[in-house]
Amino acid sequence: MNSTEKLQPAVIIDTSGYAAAGEEIRKEAARLLEQKIVDAVVGYQAGRRTGSSQPVVITDPAQAEKLVFSPTCVNNLSLYLTKAKKEIRAKGKLAVVAKGCDLRALAGLMGESQLKREELVIIGVVCAGVHAAGVASGEPLTDATIAKKCRECSVHIPEGADLIVGKLPELPNLSPTEKELLDKLDAMTPAGRWSYWKEQFTRCIRCLACRQVCPFCYCEQCLCDRGRPQAVDTSPRPAGNMGWHIVRAMHLAGRCVGCAECERVCPMDIPLNLLNRKMAQELKGLYGHEAGLTPTEKGPLTSYDEKDDQSFIK
Amino acid sequence: MPHDFEPKIVAFVCTWCTYAGADLAGTSRMLYPSNVRVVKFPCTGRIDPVFILKAFQKGADGILVSGCHPGDCHYMAGNFHARRRFAIFRKLLEFIGVDLARLEFSWVSAAEGGKWVEIVTELTGKIRAMGPLTQFTELADEEQWSGMLSNPELKAVFDQV
Repeated sequence: MNSTEKLQPAVIIDTSGYAAAGEEIRKEAARLLEQKIVDAVVGYQAGRRTGSSQPVVITDPAQAEKLVFSPTCVNNLSLYLTKAKKEIRAKGKLAVVAKGCDLRALAGLMGESQLKREELVIIGVVCAGVHAAGVASGEPLTDATIAKKCRECSVHIPEGADLIVGKLPELPNLSPTEKELLDKLDAMTPAGRWSYWKEQFTRCIRCLACRQVCPFCYCEQCLCDRGRPQAVDTSPRPAGNMGWHIVRAMHLAGRCVGCAECERVCPMDIPLNLLNRKMAQELKGLYGHEAGLTPTEKGPLTSYDEKDDQSFIK
Repeated sequence: MPHDFEPKIVAFVCTWCTYAGADLAGTSRMLYPSNVRVVKFPCTGRIDPVFILKAFQKGADGILVSGCHPGDCHYMAGNFHARRRFAIFRKLLEFIGVDLARLEFSWVSAAEGGKWVEIVTELTGKIRAMGPLTQFTELADEEQWSGMLSNPELKAVFDQV
């Protein structure tokens, strides 16, 4: 059955440069903290399980040796710089370790006046890809263990960072699995799409991890938490779930930079980034906007053009 | 003539143009189907896509969003912002699998009582032909364990009664 597929050797992605990138991050973090250029550095440290990693905020140059970079550095650290994480902002001027995709989120946040470029030091890491959700931390990075977003990555090199560390290895050509799924859904009938999404959303347990991990969900009060009037039913049942995911996609339209953190943290494996990606694709088609490439003051839904398409309006 | 099905249509309108337009239709004694329930907003820019979603979930069969013509907005640019927001919201609903024929947008000025009558009449006829919207209400039914007898034991008990 699948035996031929299983026997095929995995395409290994060269991550030998990650260790050297980690070394450069440690050096730079120690220098920034010693010279008091920044008060804290947000980066990755080794996790409790061998080979794993987790976000860390360090304030002491001696702690800089804790910092690492590996294919398990999946988190988008720009989350830790937002209004939602006040305790980290309170430390003062910050430096952050950012992969290309994280840098796009930083640019988006700057565009929304949530961050100031001059108050931030960005240590950019050249990244060939990171692990998908649920991959054991010791696994090598292959076409089977790489995150979906990395298969179609266009920002391996974080252009615009203050310092760019690491070197890009030769990358294999990976099939764009997410694009293929999106095309498949687009080709379906409306009824087919409805039953697809109904099945996906019915699984949702409304843990709201997708909201907590999103760098753009920094509202102090979420519309979906309000009771009077209640916009979206808060219990994890089909109608409310459908409402929540529609509202989420709508509120991120034109802002989401596709870091796919929502999809990574989803315990029910709902393909959330598909919705975000579809919205981004439509906004690009309609208004030529792409989120998070450069900090722009006005997103596509906070600006307008008098000549916008209105063929759908009578 | 009585119909088999009377659709529920919710119209989200702006107070400055379409509401006044609908008012004009009324004071001019024009006739239009009573299926439409008008909800008045200060501006189309105030109409959150959540309202549309909520209306569908609460049993609306069709929705009309109507406001001032471009350039006529009382608040200068509310309808321009709304135009972009609804353009993208339509795409989202389409992607989720909602039939866009049930969601209509129009510009109706305070002087266009006739256009209002035309749009409402046409939409009502269209929705009536399409039948009730069950997608969202079925979702809500699934929330109640008694709504759907998906469980064989429950079904057995139900059949005995």
